[in-house]
Amino acid sequence: MLSININLIIAFTLALIGVLIYRSHLISTLLCLEGIILSLFILITLLITHFHIFSISITPLILLVFSACEAGVGLALLVKISTTHGNDYVQNLNLLQC
Amino acid sequence: METMLIFVLSLMLIFGFVAFASKPSPVYGGLSLVVSGGLGCAIIVSLNSTFLGLIVFLIYLGGMLVVFGYTAAMATEEYPESWVDNMVAFSMLLLSLLMEMVWLMVSGEVEVVMAVELFDSLGNYCVGQDWNGVSLLYGCGGWAMVLLGWILFITILVVLEVIRGL
Repeated sequence: MLSININLIIAFTLALIGVLIYRSHLISTLLCLEGIILSLFILITLLITHFHIFSISITPLILLVFSACEAGVGLALLVKISTTHGNDYVQNLNLLQC
Repeated sequence: METMLIFVLSLMLIFGFVAFASKPSPVYGGLSLVVSGGLGCAIIVSLNSTFLGLIVFLIYLGGMLVVFGYTAAMATEEYPESWVDNMVAFSMLLLSLLMEMVWLMVSGEVEVVMAVELFDSLGNYCVGQDWNGVSLLYGCGGWAMVLLGWILFITILVVLEVIRGL
């Protein structure tokens, strides 16, 4: 396997770990989600360039459209949380308790 | 040196990803995501896919991350946490180094450079074909264009419903 593919898979794994681990802010999780989308975009583009399958060149664009929709809804939720609690700390989301 | 350029760019992309995946204050996270997007665009452009590199810069950085930047301005605090004394960032760097070493030991040879040929084995012309590939979205993929436009329209309505009563 090519070494840039390995580096991009490592980058994807790091952003995935960033999504799964909560620290203080909620917007950091959304930023890591955007990082996942960026690494997937670059991986698909490298696939297109390496194997000369230029017919699927629209796949990165479709991925970006869905990523924009997802980011928009995520930010709307963030704004709602921020107006309810005053900030976007994760420890404020404590209604569900066991 | 020039043959190692793409590998060095992907290595710096990993550092950029560590910088925002270790979750400092969101201002620093947004900044490192912008830098990672720029490096990703450099990787794509150096392999002669100029249209997709332009898409990364214009749509991803210029469209989506600007929105994130404005929203991160809401999360400013008095003492933003940077990467000093951040154990998560250090352990992520160690993890990426470990994965690289494991891959180096498992795979026999190391193939670093991706050459861009002018003609492939079938005789098709190969440089700059991603512009032609994207034009399929307007041609035989016109239904995909209509569907994506409809999805974006519905997303606006969803967002307005989520923040209803604000």
